[in-house]
Amino acid sequence: MSVEQVSYAYSANPAQAPLFTLEATSFQAGPGEIVAILGPNASGKSTLLKLIAGALAPLSGRILLNGFVTHSLTPRTRAQRIAVVQQESPLLFPARAWEFVLQGRHSHRPSLRFESEDDVIIAKNALAQVGAADLSDRWMDQISGGEKQRVILARALAQQPLLLLLDEPTLHLDIAAQIGLLDALRRLAAENRYTVVVVTHELNLAAEYADQVVLMQRGRCLRVGPPVSIYQRELLEQVFQTPLSVELGSSGRPRVTVLSGT
Amino acid sequence: MKAFARPRLRSAVSAAIVALLSCAALSRAQSASPLSSASPAFREVTDEVGRTVRIPQPVRRIVSLAPSLTETIYALGLQDRLVGDTIYCDYPPDAQNKTKVGGAINPSLEQIVALHPDLVLVTKGLNRLETADALEGLGISSYSTVHPHTVEEIITSSKKLSDVLGVPEAGASVAREMQRRLADLQQRVGALAAKRVLFVVWTQPLISVGKDTFIADALRRAGAVSIVDSDQGWPQVSLEEVARLQPEFLVFAASHSESASPAVEVLATLPGWSIVDAVSNRRFAVISDAVNRPAPRIVSAIEDLAKQLHPDAFVEKPENGKEKIEKENPPLNERPAPHYSFSLDILQDHFTIPGGCPCAH
Amino acid sequence: MRALTLRRLLLQCSILVVILFVVVVIALKFGAVPVSLYALGRDLLRLILGQSSQISSDYGLIVMNIRLPRILLGIIVGASLAVAGTSFQALLRNPLADPYVLGVSMGASLGSILALIAEPHLSISPALAALLTPLGAFLGAGATIAAVYFLGRREGQIDSATLLLGGVIISSFLSAIIMFLMNTLSGNLRGLSFWLMGDLSTPLQKSAYWFLGIGFLLAAGAIYTTAADLNLLLSGEKEAMHLGVDVPRVRLVVYVAASLLTGLAVSVSGAIGYVGLIVPHAIRFIFGSDHRTLLPTAALGGAIALVFADTLARTIVAPTEVSVGAVTAVVGAPLFIYLLRRRLS
Repeated sequence: MSVEQVSYAYSANPAQAPLFTLEATSFQAGPGEIVAILGPNASGKSTLLKLIAGALAPLSGRILLNGFVTHSLTPRTRAQRIAVVQQESPLLFPARAWEFVLQGRHSHRPSLRFESEDDVIIAKNALAQVGAADLSDRWMDQISGGEKQRVILARALAQQPLLLLLDEPTLHLDIAAQIGLLDALRRLAAENRYTVVVVTHELNLAAEYADQVVLMQRGRCLRVGPPVSIYQRELLEQVFQTPLSVELGSSGRPRVTVLSGT
Repeated sequence: MKAFARPRLRSAVSAAIVALLSCAALSRAQSASPLSSASPAFREVTDEVGRTVRIPQPVRRIVSLAPSLTETIYALGLQDRLVGDTIYCDYPPDAQNKTKVGGAINPSLEQIVALHPDLVLVTKGLNRLETADALEGLGISSYSTVHPHTVEEIITSSKKLSDVLGVPEAGASVAREMQRRLADLQQRVGALAAKRVLFVVWTQPLISVGKDTFIADALRRAGAVSIVDSDQGWPQVSLEEVARLQPEFLVFAASHSESASPAVEVLATLPGWSIVDAVSNRRFAVISDAVNRPAPRIVSAIEDLAKQLHPDAFVEKPENGKEKIEKENPPLNERPAPHYSFSLDILQDHFTIPGGCPCAH
Repeated sequence: MRALTLRRLLLQCSILVVILFVVVVIALKFGAVPVSLYALGRDLLRLILGQSSQISSDYGLIVMNIRLPRILLGIIVGASLAVAGTSFQALLRNPLADPYVLGVSMGASLGSILALIAEPHLSISPALAALLTPLGAFLGAGATIAAVYFLGRREGQIDSATLLLGGVIISSFLSAIIMFLMNTLSGNLRGLSFWLMGDLSTPLQKSAYWFLGIGFLLAAGAIYTTAADLNLLLSGEKEAMHLGVDVPRVRLVVYVAASLLTGLAVSVSGAIGYVGLIVPHAIRFIFGSDHRTLLPTAALGGAIALVFADTLARTIVAPTEVSVGAVTAVVGAPLFIYLLRRRLS
């Protein structure tokens, strides 16, 4: 996947100056890699993710996936290659977890055909891969937040994508669930050769799990690189506007401690 | 799994066959031949709406879809040929014993067809065009009158109807009688100053009659004039206007006089109404609801009103004439009317204002 | 874990077809005039075999010429309203949506009132005059569909919340105009009360049934092609897009087709309430929310409900009739409460 000089601008009124701009950003990622888009609020992380997902059209530049420009694909073909995990709208009508995951197969079915046995097997495997096989018959509105997140991830896996995008997946999870999710992502990326892009503002999680970090601030991409090259104290303090200290952890990855300030 | 499929498949297939059969029947529904009366003789007339109607001769079985038409049939002496009427047809009392086919707007087509009528009478003032069309589609002729604007039109319409039904002599006789009585009234009250009245159709909201209606014409014949000058048929009048115009009398149409006076009492207590002199002085006239129906009986109501408004014009009548009047117009409280109805038969469909109006049927 | 298959869909539909058949037989048998089942079966067979001229009994002809067309109308209108209701509930992501929420019925009412006002001033043949009211209603519905569409757009596409708002605004605006017209005009606005509660008793021309039937199949068919998409739409619009649904296209197709279904139904029978609201919920309760089965089963369910309600309406107080909308309301409202409580528990 390659993001080439992608920029974007959003204005409420065409006559006025844009309310928000994303300046030209570039980076690349290959199968099995986890990329973290890191930055404080309103830094343009989600906008960049939406551009990669093909939900928005870039003002300039393009995003290529295996040679295809993502935005010019039809929604159906795009969904066969790119899966997005984000905060879910509440369900209107009750659904079971397996039905929910089966929705991931939609883009692979011709529109009037029902799901085949193969689709059912793929859905079951997806649930197993996230460790939620026991949730398959449970109703979606009766499982916990962490369990729901896993089922949503399973649905994304059922799409059998090349690119897996996650927008702040750890927001409402407790520590154990956060670690569990990211462990699963690392395993899945390695096993299934996904390219994974995660938007987050969690410094330590990004440091621990990402192969590449894209550091954003106020619509600008400041730096792209492996965590050790990004996690410089002055740089991070400038971006996050808070005193902190950076050290090398036991795993060889940087670890950030926030200093209670004066 | 396959062993299960067979019995299920079989029942599904047989259900489908049955469904197909009924679909076939349904799709053929329109091609079934309509009812046709095998009478040998027909007569073509043009009804008051302008349609050409083929009427079997003689007309032996009649269904009436309006109370005024029912009354006219009785007045023409044809009641034995009336086989069905609406639930609102209540005068004369014998009309209540006829087979009912439903309301005027929505009569039961099945019931009408089951009575095998030669002719169905409808009126544009009350019934729907769709009903007449539907009857035509079933091979039943319907003759339609229009809503009359004057009492004279009521007379000519009745005469034409009598001719259509094959009893022109009866029609001419009824018309003559009506003309005579109206001429008599004209003689008595024509020269007097017309009393200014407010004809009250409904009190809340306050609704009266327009100047183009036969009721307004009936008022004129009775030596009165409606203070409401409106082009609408049933204008809603503001109380301010009434207070400004100060009618000399209020006129109510009710099937039972004793039910009308409590209404006036109630009006007197309502704020605003008391500034109308006619209310505070209790000057009101009550006539039968025949005034609402364009039928021969309306003349009796006109006479009754004239007597109440201009009592002096009737005092010096010779004895036999007085008996005759009293015979034809029995005092109100002897009339057999069980319930209090403010001209329901005409109001029933005019007041279908969403949100619920007490007048809706 | 059982996925949906074609066989399950056919089974569910077959069950409902059988129930529909039973209801049709009941509707044929009962009415102001009693008919025996034997005579009924014999006459039906004669009708199918093309021997309708041999149907001698007048009661048989009553059944064929009055009841059967009325039942047919009930089936088409009931199915149309149920499919439209299901579609709007999905499109607007609102379980309280019914076919009239976007103002189509008000537009149709106004159209037919205007046709009635214009009729005396036009010199046309009586055959055309009979068609004038349904035609005016259908044109009124079409104009409303267009108006609400243009009001309900945001950034060039239909937006569910804006659409609902636009529909409600136009609905009340049209309703005010209608009340004004009814209040100030003394003209022959006969029988317009039928719009308030709905009415299946007016027989139509033969061509009208063909028009209705074909219109239903086309519109319902168009909606059915988006059935799988609608399932995903209910998970959320962004999610649906990421799962491969072309959301703007689906919204447009469903909006236009469902509004047309409503317009067709309302033009010939007035605004019959509760069928489009309750039947989808009842069918969901029994057969599940997957639109690939929900749409056809709701259509059948709507046909069953309306034919049954209409039969009640014309037999309870024979020879007069209760309006069919009153029956659907009296039966529908408690049923809705029951379904709601079952779902909450």
